[in-house]
Amino acid sequence: MTATNPAAAPTPAGSIYDLGYRHYEGKRNGRFYAMWSLFVESFRGVWGFGRPMTAKAAPFILAGIYALPAVIQLAFSSVIAGQISAGKSVELFTYGTYFAALYVFVFFFCVAQAPELVCRDQRYQVLPLYFTRAMGRIEYALARLGSLAAALFIVLLLPTVALFVGDVLMQPDAFKAAGEELPKALPSIPAAALIALGLGSLSLAISSFSPRRAYSAIGIVAYILLMEAIPAAIYSIGQTSATTWTDKLFLLSPVTSLIGATYWFFGQPIDPQYFQGSLAAADYLAAAIVAIGVAAAVLMFRYRRVPA
Amino acid sequence: MALIETTGLTKHYGPVKALDQLDLMVEPGIIGLVGANGAGKSTLLKILLGLLSPTSGRATVLGMDTVRETRAIRQVVGYMPEHDCLPPDVGATDFVTHMARISGLPRTAARERTAEVLRHVGLYEERYRQIGGYSTGMKQRVKLAQALVHDPKVLLLDEPTNGLDPSGRDEMLDLIKRTGTDFGITVVVASHLLGEIEQVCGYLLAIDAGHLLQAAPISHFTQRTPVLAVEVEEGADRLAAALSSRGARARQDGNRVLVAIESDALYDSVRDLVADLALPLIRIQQERGRLEDLFRDAPTAGSLQ
Repeated sequence: MTATNPAAAPTPAGSIYDLGYRHYEGKRNGRFYAMWSLFVESFRGVWGFGRPMTAKAAPFILAGIYALPAVIQLAFSSVIAGQISAGKSVELFTYGTYFAALYVFVFFFCVAQAPELVCRDQRYQVLPLYFTRAMGRIEYALARLGSLAAALFIVLLLPTVALFVGDVLMQPDAFKAAGEELPKALPSIPAAALIALGLGSLSLAISSFSPRRAYSAIGIVAYILLMEAIPAAIYSIGQTSATTWTDKLFLLSPVTSLIGATYWFFGQPIDPQYFQGSLAAADYLAAAIVAIGVAAAVLMFRYRRVPA
Repeated sequence: MALIETTGLTKHYGPVKALDQLDLMVEPGIIGLVGANGAGKSTLLKILLGLLSPTSGRATVLGMDTVRETRAIRQVVGYMPEHDCLPPDVGATDFVTHMARISGLPRTAARERTAEVLRHVGLYEERYRQIGGYSTGMKQRVKLAQALVHDPKVLLLDEPTNGLDPSGRDEMLDLIKRTGTDFGITVVVASHLLGEIEQVCGYLLAIDAGHLLQAAPISHFTQRTPVLAVEVEEGADRLAAALSSRGARARQDGNRVLVAIESDALYDSVRDLVADLALPLIRIQQERGRLEDLFRDAPTAGSLQ
């Protein structure tokens, strides 16, 4: 059962080139390189690269739908410009209100792709392979979170770019218009970063508790919907009995607080049409930052404990 | 320096003691770690990898503490888990390359090592296909490849032949043997199948209920024992009685008689008695120890009384 075993002899395919086993003497990078490698792999994974074609459908379709209205506005910018110069008032998407109007697609993006990132490794028990390499549990969680947040950041910024180009093209002097538009568009970057981290950390933290994609997806949907509905219900009950503190509960709603926080970045007051109660944009911003911290902490906690 | 050393290693899972005051010293080579299911083999491997921390006691790998120097240990250790650990929707090449990079290998080195290691474990054209379509034997090869890809000094294999058919099992064992002897990598093979351990390992650690039962070179277990086995077609009982009446310590075991060799005169008396009783003799041979006896009462001269 040693070298005399026919199975042990090199197969014909390998015999010509078989140089025998060579030891690796080269460089071995540390944990940050491992994190970066996982980040890159996950980022590709979010978009379905390196996976079958079916894995690409959900992210690209959802990101496309989210950007579509902005692209349409861009495509019809000359028509719109004509109408504006004709004195008609046209309801346009702006940088500050785009997410509030279409957040549901970003939310679906999270529901579809966050479980993809963390459930597979638990379901197929790949985690021990990671945790016995240059990577610790915390690094693993951070790299996964980073890649989802980066993907969301791109999803969120795509329509902003389209809006920017559209707005510039509507003006007669494009160069001057670009200079004027840029300060208006720039707050989109920190706002997108905040939303990406907020939705990313929340959906990943919830996903990490189940190895099954379906349960994770249901968990994210249930959590976000309940946290939107319960404060609204309590608030409307509170209104009838003249209690004043019930509007604070809106700070617990992930999507409401993220939308509220974007008003802060754009320096606009809260739109009372969508926001009930007396909270300011800064309150929502603070709530969103706290929520990111809590979700990230829950994610780390989960990965400290997850069996491997 | 011992490659792996544990002192007073104890691990409790609640009231269950998986390891209990385990003291080990492992020298380079191919080492078999045997024990029944639940004897603590996997727990020991996981502690060595730093996946679990011991309740008390300490363990070192290449002189590095498993709790404090986990990262340094992981650079030089490869681990093949007992369970399935491969995602089905990626190709073997992509997966092993990714794992190499997580181990810290730069991109090009990761690709080269992956190609090399996959060829070593015997995956050729199929390595670009998705792992989900692989047979169990191919999956086991990919699992071994990912453990080898960063060129570890120590390889910890947990039940590497799990779920393989006999020929797949032999190929895997052969692969392990080559890895240990030709590549100069110390391999620790945890298994509950003694036959496998006997085939590939040079050194044996037997653990049972968290205790070290035996630690010795395999040859130690298969040495000749001072017991003569006389196999006859019939009349084993008469032979045993006759030998006993002559003062020899003999015991009947089926159609065999086991008798302690206390002097060379025994051979003569066995020959004479068999002739006198006109027994149909099949063979006379000195008993060899068997690995299985570890977990039973060994046929020592003392046990014959």
